[in-house]
Amino acid sequence: MAQPPSVRRQLIVAVAVPLVFSFALTILALDNIFRQSAQQALRARLEEEIVALVTAAELLEDGRMDLHVLDPESRLSRRRSGQYAMVRNTHGRILWSSPSLAGLPLDFGPLVGTGNAIFRRKVLADGADLGVLSRGLEWDYAPGGRADLVFSVAENLADQNAQLLRFRRQLIAWFGVLAVLLLGVLGELLRRVLRPIRRLEVEIAEVDRGQRAQLGTAYPRELAGVARSLNVLLRSEQRRIVRYRDTLGNLAHSLKTPLAVMRAGLAGGTEQHGSVDREIDHIAQIVDHHLKRAATSGGAAVGQGAVPVAPLLAELRATMLKVHSAKDLAIETEVAARAGFLGDRGDIIELLGNLLDNACKWCSGKVRAEVQLLDEQTAQPRLLIRIEDDGPGIAPEDRGRVLARGVRADERAPGHGLGLAMVADTVALYGGEVLISESAALKGARIEVTLPGRALETDVLKSGE
Amino acid sequence: MRILVVEDEAALLDSLKADLSAAGHAVDTATDGEEGLYAALEFPIDVAIVDLGLPKLSGLELIRRLRAAGKSYGVLVLTARDRWQDKVEGLSAGADDYVAKPFHIGELQARLSALLRRSSGWTTPLLHCDPVVLDTRAQAVAVRGTPVELTSFEYRLLEHLMLHAGEVISKAELTEKLYEQDFERDSNVIEVLIARLRRKLDPEDEIKPIETLRGRGYRITLPRSHVAS
Repeated sequence: MAQPPSVRRQLIVAVAVPLVFSFALTILALDNIFRQSAQQALRARLEEEIVALVTAAELLEDGRMDLHVLDPESRLSRRRSGQYAMVRNTHGRILWSSPSLAGLPLDFGPLVGTGNAIFRRKVLADGADLGVLSRGLEWDYAPGGRADLVFSVAENLADQNAQLLRFRRQLIAWFGVLAVLLLGVLGELLRRVLRPIRRLEVEIAEVDRGQRAQLGTAYPRELAGVARSLNVLLRSEQRRIVRYRDTLGNLAHSLKTPLAVMRAGLAGGTEQHGSVDREIDHIAQIVDHHLKRAATSGGAAVGQGAVPVAPLLAELRATMLKVHSAKDLAIETEVAARAGFLGDRGDIIELLGNLLDNACKWCSGKVRAEVQLLDEQTAQPRLLIRIEDDGPGIAPEDRGRVLARGVRADERAPGHGLGLAMVADTVALYGGEVLISESAALKGARIEVTLPGRALETDVLKSGE
Repeated sequence: MRILVVEDEAALLDSLKADLSAAGHAVDTATDGEEGLYAALEFPIDVAIVDLGLPKLSGLELIRRLRAAGKSYGVLVLTARDRWQDKVEGLSAGADDYVAKPFHIGELQARLSALLRRSSGWTTPLLHCDPVVLDTRAQAVAVRGTPVELTSFEYRLLEHLMLHAGEVISKAELTEKLYEQDFERDSNVIEVLIARLRRKLDPEDEIKPIETLRGRGYRITLPRSHVAS
């Protein structure tokens, strides 16, 4: 299943597309306005020039035009200065053309009727872009004399075009920078806004790994409700597990006490009593087995911290010495002080208890327990528990059978069997491994179990003392 | 022997009382924790059988309180909750052994007699005969702060000698502490154990912790010192 794109990316895209689109429209509109105003300015300038020409012009007797008043420094006087002018009569005869036009094949376009004006753009063969304004005028000269004339002026638009291009470039550059800036700010803003969600995710993962019991509280208002609800859920889950176990323990207790009473009532010992006695054993065994299995939490212990193994092993060692007091036992333990079990305290006690009890039962006198933390530097450290004894060991062909899971209690191999099958069940729930081999040092059984572990903080160790 | 039985199940209590009486013991009974604690503190009990699930005062609390009051006789826990967690809790509260329900009366009696044999001064968790320190709770021994690995028989022997530091303890008494059956044991076993203890506690032969009194027994000669624990 494809993962939907991230909220942050979706939001950025959703903002970026209309932003870029509206910026483009703005650029087009501004460009248009700028162009039009430049054109209007040009036209106004050309009109002024026509007025200046008309003022300076004098129609001669022979019908030619004289603009002798023309300033020799003006652009009209200099050759190819970019500003040109021409006066024609309605028949198209050129009455006057500016000195700047010399040798330039410039067509000022069609003649215009009196009182009209026409503005055109014209591109010359050499690529020069010109704006041309022609205006038809009625000229009064000598009393009663009239002539219709067409005044045309032209101006090279290179400067104006260059200005327009510059304007466009600047426009695009500024809007581009603005867009990038806005999107950057938006991205950063989203990152900040979404940070609590990321934190929530991290904290939930930590709860899942058992590194914290509850989610933190410093969440923004919108998420505080979610965090609170999750915490309530976690608490009720923790309470539910405890209640579940208590119920199972109570059930075991309330079943076994009547069994003890029944057995006590059997004292006497006919053959019939013997069979009832055996059945009582059987029932007790079944109750034991299933209740223990059901009570194993298998890592479901949400939000419990890592359990320090060293103090547990010390307590269990003392317990074993008391329980197996009929034997001259030497239990040697070697535990990494930082070794912590990532899971339920009851489960690890049960597991270590079963392993040690088995070893004590079968050994001739020596038991060795070793606990190490493997892969400590990685994200998933593992706890290695190694229990060895100097007993008869477990034959290779029996090793699979004693670990067989899900087999009914009475079908298990006797002796090492029951305890080890429990161990195998628990280890499987935690995704660990059990390995049975022969102890090199003590020559008996060696059982190695790996479970999810965690390096303990030193201050936890101190308070755990 | 005077045995206290604290059990809230009347039928079980009655049959236990009958069986133990038949075996020649004097039996006191109590049906809840408070009553049990009263009997445990007031009567000269030799060994107590305590059910963990008791009304009014839990079995664990009862054991803790009688230990806190300085009672050092053996305590056997009777429990239906036989997860190791429960056993560890019971034994570290001060019990000496446990029997899981439903039990055979024969097994219970065997455990009881073993307990009677073993039970000894449980007055303070730390026994200190400079430079040897014995921690009865962790069943661990250290000499000058260095832990010494002892087997459980060696430990029990040392514990008994240290509890009676300064007194002479006969081989017969030591043998009785170690073995459950009454039959004669080769007294060489004790000599071997004592020799091993001396080697482990005092490899350089400097402190000479255990003195042999020919024909009478053994004695710890180290000064007994009390340690606040």
